[in-house]
Amino acid sequence: MADAKRSKRFEILEKRPVHLDGFIGEWIEVGLYAMGSPQDPKPSIKIEGDKIVEMDGKSRGEFTMIEQFVADYAINVKNAREAMAKSETEIARMLVDINVSREECIKVFTALTPSKIARVMEEMNVVEMMMAMQKMRCRQTPANQAHVTSAKDHPVMLAADAAEATFRGFKEIETTVGVVRYAPFNALALLVGGQVGRRGTLSQDALEEAFELQVGMRGLTSYAETVSVYGTERVFVDGDDTPWSKAFLASAYASRGLKMRFTSGTGSEVQMGAAEGKSMLYLETLCVMVTKGAGVQGLQNGSISCIGVPAAVPSGLRAVTAENLITMCLDLEVASGNDQTFSHSDQRRTARTMPQFLPGTDWIFSGYSSTPNYDNMFAGSNWDISDVDDYLALQRDFKVDGGLRPVKEEDVVAVRNKAARAMQAVFAELGFPPITDEEVEACTYANGSKDIGDRNIPEDLKAAERLMKDAVTGVDVAKALAKRGFRDVAESIILMMRQRVAGDYLQTSAWVGSDGTVYSAVNDPNTYMGPGTGYKMSEERWEEIKAIPWAIRAEDV
Amino acid sequence: MAQTNEEFVASVVRQVLKEISVEAPASAAAKSASGITAADYPLGMKRRDVLKSPRGIPFDELTLENVESGKVAFEDFSISPDVLSMQGDIASSAGRTQIALNFNRAREMTKIPDERILEIYNSLRPHRSTKEEMLGIADELQNKFGAAVCAEFVREAADVYQRRKLLKGDLPTD
Repeated sequence: MADAKRSKRFEILEKRPVHLDGFIGEWIEVGLYAMGSPQDPKPSIKIEGDKIVEMDGKSRGEFTMIEQFVADYAINVKNAREAMAKSETEIARMLVDINVSREECIKVFTALTPSKIARVMEEMNVVEMMMAMQKMRCRQTPANQAHVTSAKDHPVMLAADAAEATFRGFKEIETTVGVVRYAPFNALALLVGGQVGRRGTLSQDALEEAFELQVGMRGLTSYAETVSVYGTERVFVDGDDTPWSKAFLASAYASRGLKMRFTSGTGSEVQMGAAEGKSMLYLETLCVMVTKGAGVQGLQNGSISCIGVPAAVPSGLRAVTAENLITMCLDLEVASGNDQTFSHSDQRRTARTMPQFLPGTDWIFSGYSSTPNYDNMFAGSNWDISDVDDYLALQRDFKVDGGLRPVKEEDVVAVRNKAARAMQAVFAELGFPPITDEEVEACTYANGSKDIGDRNIPEDLKAAERLMKDAVTGVDVAKALAKRGFRDVAESIILMMRQRVAGDYLQTSAWVGSDGTVYSAVNDPNTYMGPGTGYKMSEERWEEIKAIPWAIRAEDV
Repeated sequence: MAQTNEEFVASVVRQVLKEISVEAPASAAAKSASGITAADYPLGMKRRDVLKSPRGIPFDELTLENVESGKVAFEDFSISPDVLSMQGDIASSAGRTQIALNFNRAREMTKIPDERILEIYNSLRPHRSTKEEMLGIADELQNKFGAAVCAEFVREAADVYQRRKLLKGDLPTD
């Protein structure tokens, strides 16, 4: 074909990174539709006695397992008639009205059907959603979570990175593996390193459900979040669970004194090929309600690993914002995504994070990569450690508390070194393959796994297996640390073990302060009702955020 | 504005607290043998007096020194059924009834060994168990572990699995 004469400008635009991203038009049948698909059900409710006998146009006998669970456990029947009688616009306006309290909104939302909730979101633009988030998130003080992973599953590097991440301000840290059999060591590295960086750190090891529960039971982790729920029955069953099995698992975690949240996200049903023509947001609403019904305190959503799907369709990132908001409106903790790469465009990936960053959420990222993305075993996060100074600048530019703080190089080097040495001590005391001083040194100063040598993997894996077989516990790790002179780290681990006895961090949206005090939606509830209320940054915190080390000091000019 | 900011904030906080207490179901307060509410939270700071390990070791004795001396073992760092009840009462008093129900199930599960819990969880996955097997698990929960709430939950699941063809041997619904 004869080449049409090209515009130089269009040729340049086509080479911009955004053109490497996937974009697709709406496609109703496969569920490639962000919000308000023509095939979404119309809101309705019929109640007989205290039972819902019809919901969103379907009678009880035809309910899927998900619909039955939601109808029986997630909707406050007592308030349902009154709440459902309100128009979607009226409810949406309650969310942005500073004179309507969070509690009044919760009372309405917990009495709505899934379709009604999704339709309320359709009434809102993204700025209104952000206004609503400021009021509706459970915990007043925002916080942040990091991924800590290694392409080599290098236990020393993981401990050093965990320490740096928590020193920088991440209150929860999450790992997963490249090689599954390394998983016990990854949990151990985050336990030790996380406490070195900041006493009180919550850590998790994202793996198969049963394994996660097992390492949690032993005190090697303190919480879990990769307990997935889905919005269609077929996908839920393909995920090898039901709302009842997942709710049972949730109770098992609580019975062992472990914090947990569920995971879901728009686009997962499309990705698994069974969205049944429903919009992503409607299906996600069902997931949030399953979580509510199971009595789980919180949910990780915001599309998560499926972000490429909603991000490809019109209004997709608005739907992702809406799913976070729905979670808050049902009085659940939200770990609000931003944890997976989806775009080549720096503008798009920054913009994608603003609806959570600016108003603040319980956990702005459910996995900011605290390592370079080549080491991120969750397939890369939307932001990685290379972006951290940009993040600090944004906190300072907008006077926003994004959960992180500026740090000095020498301090980071010191905590990384201490974590690496603590890990060396634990390995020596428990008889695991030795960690050399050279490895400690390399991991202290490294940026990523490309800067460090390789471990003897077969020997490590044998030892990791032994850790599980011998049922090594958090108490054993604390004893080992104390014996080798890391008494303060040992104390920190005991402090975390004591959390299991008190159970305070089982309440909604909890994190643990360095003195062991738990902060959650119970003792730090969101009281936002317009300017002058809600979260107010302390002077001390503002001074901290302002003090990026590379800024020129006026007095030096 | 006639009100100062502080007055306004104080009135918001008062309103929140008032609504929390209004929302609390009366039955929860009556059921609360512990008398514990959101005002006692966090227990680890405000009510150490009521916190004990399952075999009765006081919270303040769960220290590194006592671990080293052997007075305290790993098993002591476990949540007790009583503490789960208290946390359930706290959740209820903050208006979170589903969490209280979850802790109710959890309270019963403290008596079930780790291994058996994992096995039961696996049996509740789709297409794993016949209805009879599920009802058998429910009976075991009730009779062997005194877990009546969990037992009822499993019986309910068995009915749903039957209706939705999620039992062992059922073909997928579509």
